[in-house]
Amino acid sequence: MKLLSYIKQWKSAARETIARASIAAQFLSLIHITDAYICSTTLVQGPSMLPTLNYSGDVVLIEHLSHRLGKLEPGDIVVVRSPVDPKKIVAKRIVGMEGDRVTYLTEPSYSESSRTVLVPKGHVWIQGDNVYASADSRYFGAVPYGLIQGRAFLRVWPIRDFGFLG
Amino acid sequence: MWSIIREAFDKTLLVAKAYGILHITNSYLCTVALAYGPSMIPTINLTGDLILAERISPRIGKVGVGDIVIVRSPVVPRRVVTKRVVGMEGDQVTYLLDPHNSDEVHSIVVPRGHVWIQGDNIYNSKDSRDFGPVPYALVEAKLLWRVWPPKDFGPMQHISR
Repeated sequence: MKLLSYIKQWKSAARETIARASIAAQFLSLIHITDAYICSTTLVQGPSMLPTLNYSGDVVLIEHLSHRLGKLEPGDIVVVRSPVDPKKIVAKRIVGMEGDRVTYLTEPSYSESSRTVLVPKGHVWIQGDNVYASADSRYFGAVPYGLIQGRAFLRVWPIRDFGFLG
Repeated sequence: MWSIIREAFDKTLLVAKAYGILHITNSYLCTVALAYGPSMIPTINLTGDLILAERISPRIGKVGVGDIVIVRSPVVPRRVVTKRVVGMEGDQVTYLLDPHNSDEVHSIVVPRGHVWIQGDNIYNSKDSRDFGPVPYALVEAKLLWRVWPPKDFGPMQHISR
């Protein structure tokens, strides 16, 4: 008799748990889909995008729509999965799209010598704004377009630097 | 009237939830891929095979030489290609430059963070011999189990070289 009432209580508790868990799961899915496909935030730090982005870290909003629609152009700041370390994501500026000729200084600290490359099909040429301290396409070559994760368009922190990037 | 609208809304919400679950499973767990074309003959049929592919291994770094993987094309970003991994970063890969005409080979060390992919049918395959080593982050899934056609049902062969 007692066993039956225990089973009944357990059943109703289980049902309620599942209901609440499914609400939580749906909420997390919604957050995830927004974060992965529409808009997300990232902390970007390091010297490679000075003076545009601060060395000690900026929080920027990243939109994930432009790169899927093919609407990226030179001048956009993009976040890209690094071709030399697949676990790392870097933020650089697009300097050339496929088919463009890009001229860059091979050793900006030491000499004036420059090189011109043609960006191959399906690739983009990315460079940090701070050419003196940036590992970018000048080091690892043109990056396949499929590695682009999104475009940074708005800086939200620090507040004194709040504003659109570009 | 409002009850019809409410019912339509509820049904739409249900469909959206089901689609959301399907999409997340497809993108992060396991998906069914239609692989076709001549580049993986005899492993994959010319007219197309349906193959189960899992997306977890590339994320945890469990892709190795001999695996057949789905890779986003470095030449046409909207396209995905199915090839076999022949070399991981640091491996030395030796390949025939022009298999139809000569025996000339070329040797290359796969750079850090990249993989070397080749189709099993080297006579008719555009792969790393054409577009070079591919960044590891472009590897999207690993082929696991062929589900169609029924006579070829079974695991994908893993070849170690």
